[in-house]
Amino acid sequence: MKIRLLGFLVNIFVLFLGMASLLAPFIFPSARGAVAQTSTFPIMVGLIVVLCVLIILFEAQSAILETKMIALLGVLIAINAGIRFLENAIPGPAGFSPTFFLIILIGYFFGSRVGFLFGALTMLVSGLLTGGVGPWLPGQLITAGWVGQSAALLGLITRKLNLKNKISEVVLLAAFGALWGFLYGLIMNLWFWPFLAASSDQIFSQSLSVFENFQRYSAYYVATSLVWDLTRAIGNVLMIVFLANPVIKVLHRFHRRFSFTRLKADEA
Amino acid sequence: MKHTASWILWLVLSLTLTLTTRNPFYLSFQILSLLLLGVYIAKQKHHAFWLSQNIRFLLTMLVISSLVNALFTHTGSTTLINLPDHWILVGGSITLESLIYGQINGLIIGAIFVAFNIINLALSIRQLTHLIPGALRPIAMTVTITLTFLPSIQQRAQEIKEAQLIRGNQMKKIRDWLPLLLPLLISSLENAISLSESMTSRGFETQSTGKITRLTLVSLILATFIIFSAWVLSLFDYPGFIILPLYAIGGGLVAVTFISASRKLRTTHFKKETWSKKDALSSGIFITTIIGTIILHQLGMLPTFYYSPYPGLSLPGLSLSGFLVISVLLFPMLVGKNDSI
Repeated sequence: MKIRLLGFLVNIFVLFLGMASLLAPFIFPSARGAVAQTSTFPIMVGLIVVLCVLIILFEAQSAILETKMIALLGVLIAINAGIRFLENAIPGPAGFSPTFFLIILIGYFFGSRVGFLFGALTMLVSGLLTGGVGPWLPGQLITAGWVGQSAALLGLITRKLNLKNKISEVVLLAAFGALWGFLYGLIMNLWFWPFLAASSDQIFSQSLSVFENFQRYSAYYVATSLVWDLTRAIGNVLMIVFLANPVIKVLHRFHRRFSFTRLKADEA
Repeated sequence: MKHTASWILWLVLSLTLTLTTRNPFYLSFQILSLLLLGVYIAKQKHHAFWLSQNIRFLLTMLVISSLVNALFTHTGSTTLINLPDHWILVGGSITLESLIYGQINGLIIGAIFVAFNIINLALSIRQLTHLIPGALRPIAMTVTITLTFLPSIQQRAQEIKEAQLIRGNQMKKIRDWLPLLLPLLISSLENAISLSESMTSRGFETQSTGKITRLTLVSLILATFIIFSAWVLSLFDYPGFIILPLYAIGGGLVAVTFISASRKLRTTHFKKETWSKKDALSSGIFITTIIGTIILHQLGMLPTFYYSPYPGLSLPGLSLSGFLVISVLLFPMLVGKNDSI
């Protein structure tokens, strides 16, 4: 119980810190003046988010301390990363990514820690393989991790309301997938945003209110990312509607096979 | 030059230079040097299209950043076009200055991007995986398993896909994808079971030592919070003598935490990296340049590094020493072959 509480507090802290750094241009509008800070912004946000990711990884790795979970997670991540690179495996327009489907289901099924690890490590491995290591990677890690982590909440809800194996389970999952389709793009744009919206003149932009900043961000988001995020959201919904049930059954079967524990000699 | 540490120092140098200057000529020169180095390494690694991929990204970045800035900020003295005032956000004068300012932003983000791409090119996946701290051993193990399994899983997926195609499955709709995903999932999870059994029988064991883990966690959180506070203070232009010590304390705490947490684990090293003379020499040069640039920048002794197109456009100042400092980035080409281990 004590460890659970600590884990919970750690995650709340990281959520607060991560969002505060990403949303800094909105939270501290008066600080956007200094030109020198604009340049360092993406790097500093990247650095703080790296530390946040390290904290959660360190906390969450207690869930995979035995060989069974390490092997399970390693192989599942390989499947997810492999699907991503399988050429023409799934037809889809730009922005469509099959990775989130498994991240949501794993988080939903195995809980928040494994969900976070699965999401974050999938992105890490894809980054390593495609040569996508850069200041944008920490943002991807933490956001994909949050996708898996929050899916665990959904698991809690369906367990409490006893919705397992009902249509509403799939509906909930699909709605969740659609929501994250948009949220992922919104959050990922944030580390980049202050850079483009860098205040041009120290005097005037300080007077910009949070609302005005938000208005600008919305305009930028609609113009550059909405179409991508829309296809991602639709893709998530379609994949969950068509594929979620059979995959959940498979995960259920293997979950039982993986959840045995070794007894010590004197206990046996 | 092939040691991971030398390349990381090279990256830090490149970022330091990018973040201290806003002079478009220096930034362009830096990007050119980076592209030159990139092409040199890409040739050795037989990586085609490296240059075209990067140039495409650079151009997109320049166009987006200058357009966004020009449309959203309406200050500057040289007006190009006047958009009607009642247009929300974009209404007002589009000025040459805001266009140039946006371009400088695009150049900075482009230089950061290309520098990281060179790191991706120069370091092997194994070297990058080694950067995962020892305190996160279960994570590092998971990543290694994934990287080992990936080729066989890709091959299996390809086989299943071909088998499905032969049976007349067109693989066009998302629903057609189920006969691929399920066999792949089931067969791979069976593999995971046998893998975990063989890991246990070979004595792989990770233990968590409750108290130490909690201490590590708390000190990591503290360190992150200190660094975050320092950054927020710097956003509000607090003086350096408050901020720099905070960064130092936070950074030091992170380093101490990770080093002490990794020390508790006994590990064996497979193919440990060795320092060659070239690595040591280049690392020394990079560290000196990094420290020198930061000190000179703090003292305000790099006048040509600052530039702003506002309020009216002017030609940025240039000096030979600026170009010389930036050309240190080309040093890996000078020391020669980059045969990765």
